[in-house]
Amino acid sequence: MRRSVPRVRPKAPGRSQRRLRSALALLATLLWFAPAILGAASFTATLDRETITVGESAILTLKFEGGQPTQMPAPPAIAHLQVIGEGSSRNISIVNGQISSTVSQNFTLTPTQPGDFSIPSLRAEVGGQILTTPPLKLKVVKANTPAGSPSGEQLAFFKIFIPKKEVYAGEVFAVEFQVYIREGVANAENILQSFDAYGGCPLKAEGVSILKTAHAQRRRGRVGNSNYNVATLVTSLSPIKTGTVSIGSMDVPLTLQLPTGNRRRDVFDPFGMFQQYEERRVNLSAEAETFTALPLPKENIPTNFIGAVGSFTMTVSAGPTNIATGDPITVKIQISGHGAFDSLALPEQTAWHDFKTYPPTTKVDTTDALGLQGMKTFEQVVVPQSVDIKVLPPVLFSFFDPDQKSYRTLTQPAIPLVVRPGGSAPAPTVVVSNRSTPDNPPPAQDIVHIKPRLGAAAQIGVPLVQQPWFLALQAIPVLAWLSALAWRTRMEKLANNPRLRRQRQVAHIIRNGLIELRQFASENKSDDFFATLVRLLQEQLGERLDLPASAITEAVIEERLRPRGMPEATLAPLHELFQTCNLVRYAPIKSSQELAAIIPKLETVLRELKELKP
Amino acid sequence: MISVKPFRQHALASVAARFRGSRPRLLAAHWEHEPIKSKIRTVRGRVVLCLLFLLTVLFPALSRAEISTTAFDSANKLYEEGKFAEAASAYEKLAQSGRTFPALYFNLGNALFKSGQVGRAIAAYRTAGQITPRDPDVRANLQFARNQVQGPTLSPSRWQRWLGRLTLNEWTLLAAVAVWLWFLLLTMLQWLPALRPALRGYVVTLAVSAGLLCGCLAAALYETRFTRTAIVITGEAVVRHGPLAESQTAFTVHDGAELRVLDQKDEWIEVSAGARRMGWLRRDQALLPQ
Repeated sequence: MRRSVPRVRPKAPGRSQRRLRSALALLATLLWFAPAILGAASFTATLDRETITVGESAILTLKFEGGQPTQMPAPPAIAHLQVIGEGSSRNISIVNGQISSTVSQNFTLTPTQPGDFSIPSLRAEVGGQILTTPPLKLKVVKANTPAGSPSGEQLAFFKIFIPKKEVYAGEVFAVEFQVYIREGVANAENILQSFDAYGGCPLKAEGVSILKTAHAQRRRGRVGNSNYNVATLVTSLSPIKTGTVSIGSMDVPLTLQLPTGNRRRDVFDPFGMFQQYEERRVNLSAEAETFTALPLPKENIPTNFIGAVGSFTMTVSAGPTNIATGDPITVKIQISGHGAFDSLALPEQTAWHDFKTYPPTTKVDTTDALGLQGMKTFEQVVVPQSVDIKVLPPVLFSFFDPDQKSYRTLTQPAIPLVVRPGGSAPAPTVVVSNRSTPDNPPPAQDIVHIKPRLGAAAQIGVPLVQQPWFLALQAIPVLAWLSALAWRTRMEKLANNPRLRRQRQVAHIIRNGLIELRQFASENKSDDFFATLVRLLQEQLGERLDLPASAITEAVIEERLRPRGMPEATLAPLHELFQTCNLVRYAPIKSSQELAAIIPKLETVLRELKELKP
Repeated sequence: MISVKPFRQHALASVAARFRGSRPRLLAAHWEHEPIKSKIRTVRGRVVLCLLFLLTVLFPALSRAEISTTAFDSANKLYEEGKFAEAASAYEKLAQSGRTFPALYFNLGNALFKSGQVGRAIAAYRTAGQITPRDPDVRANLQFARNQVQGPTLSPSRWQRWLGRLTLNEWTLLAAVAVWLWFLLLTMLQWLPALRPALRGYVVTLAVSAGLLCGCLAAALYETRFTRTAIVITGEAVVRHGPLAESQTAFTVHDGAELRVLDQKDEWIEVSAGARRMGWLRRDQALLPQ
């Protein structure tokens, strides 16, 4: 008899340690890839102001997003420029499941004499990646004190600071609106905070386009013999007409609180514990400042100049370069530098006449609060129309550089292409107006024209994935697999248990044999009937006694069944059946009724034999 | 007594013959047999019934298609004449007829864009894009319209653009095919376990493919059915810190800005234009495409 021995799974030594090690490895992997999960790291350096006067300070901010530097970089020593580190800050925010981490380091830059200072490119290693910043320029001008300018006597005043007196039309520059509150004014902090939170533009001007206003960091300044706290609002402007332009400011009524000095005792403050204040109401506005807006030169204007003013560089890449006619090539044009990026557009590339062009997609990444410094990326899809095309012609971009006072054209070398013959599918028609003529071609950047044919109707209904019948249909393969799995399991179970297999085979033989018996009885085939009867008894007894069917004779009743304690009520009919079979050999003729009468006896015997424990 | 029966039979026979292209005299002889006559009557009745049924079913559809095409051509003509607002009205009227045509929504977007309604144009292009997501014209115009939008707006991420290259039903069918193939292969291996070593690579590949496609389907379903977008349709709309007209201004959005809808309350919807730009916008200032 087989006994099932419970299998004890040997506990591998150090299995829990391995699990712990795996968990730690997973955690380390997650931490290692955390910057990648959070997004690519970036490193930017910004100045809160590009132009200051001697005695003022500018704040240089180094910002790392999506990672932390192995060592915080610092600007090198620059002659006549004092650099003081102001400490670092770290900010981790989770908004709508998006994690962003920022590490910032501020430096105060204080010039000791006027001039143009250049802060060189800074390098930092973040997550195994070397990141660099572009060089920055800081312009320092002399502090002018014209007649009527504040001398330190006033409690509060506004000042407009224009870094350049000559600006070209279309050029973008920053104008500062400075709010000075003298130290000692009790509610200075509240007033400055209200300016820091001001969301509008404080300047009034005609003939200029006001673009954006941002806030510079609060600082302290000295005017005359007095110290002032200064809040600065920086606004980017661009002249839209030429000539002298005057810039004024808004009028702001302010209430200044000044400590009275003597602590008067009254019934509510008998010990003079509370400071008394004197309120002074003032109505402030800044003195208007002027500058001259110059027209752009009319000589040497490049053919593809479309109004960009600033200082730019350009990089161009394209891919794929091994294509079939009709296949799209994505041309990526990155223009970086200083200028009005929002309005910056890519000029029409006249050399691309052998290509079908699609309107480019654009993306602007700015590094300063006013959006003047940064990069604009154009992604334009072009489709070659002929196998004769060997190169993508150079991209041309022209702009006016106010610093050099001249037009400049940026270009990149032509990109080699391999154009193979394409399939039969034609490229879609782009920007073709029915009324366009060869003399008056349509603008390259416009929407694709309307479709002339209605085409086939479509259905916008409940999607398949939300249709109950479709979901029910998906159960079919699962059910098929489950059925096959159940069938396979059953087959394997049978294959591993020969007794069970024989039991089922015998049950099948007996089922069919009883049918045959009835048939033989009805046809009065006595010999076949009893041969089958004996076979059925042998099969059933053989299966129960675990003996071959051929080895079963009447003798097993006495030798095997009676010792097992089988009741006489079962043994007697069994014995009688064997006897009947033996008798038939000598007197084979029996009627159909007599044969049919034996079948119930056999069924009873077989049923009782089935209950015999093997 | 003169009977009218032969005359009627002759007339019927000539009609039948005209249908069959044979001579009436030849048929007249056979017409005398009642079983054949009744059989022909039955067959003819069935043909007439079938024709009537087909006409009843097809005629409204055919006539409706004809009307749609005519109205579409008229709207196109208005567009060609530069009457963009009228063309947009005509396209919208056609769109309300209940049948959906990608070209109709594409042209509607063009007409709205040309009439200065960038937000509504973007909504129309998005509808056209839902039906034909890989139509380069629709994608180009949608991108062009999006480029015109000033101020804060949500632009789809690269992952969302990639998911949007197939419709939800296409993702569903792809995932279903992969799942079916995988389960059928597993079922086959239960029947024929001898093939197991040879087909193990296919099973793993199909399992990974089915998993990835189901993941994509789940993401597409979430983006399509469970993420709501508001498209600003007024020139300039103020997003406030609270759902009150007196609330402070959070930021300003312009016509065509696409914003994610986070919540809604009465006549206000809470929108987001990025991680740090959230606020409440009046519902009548934006479209909420389904």
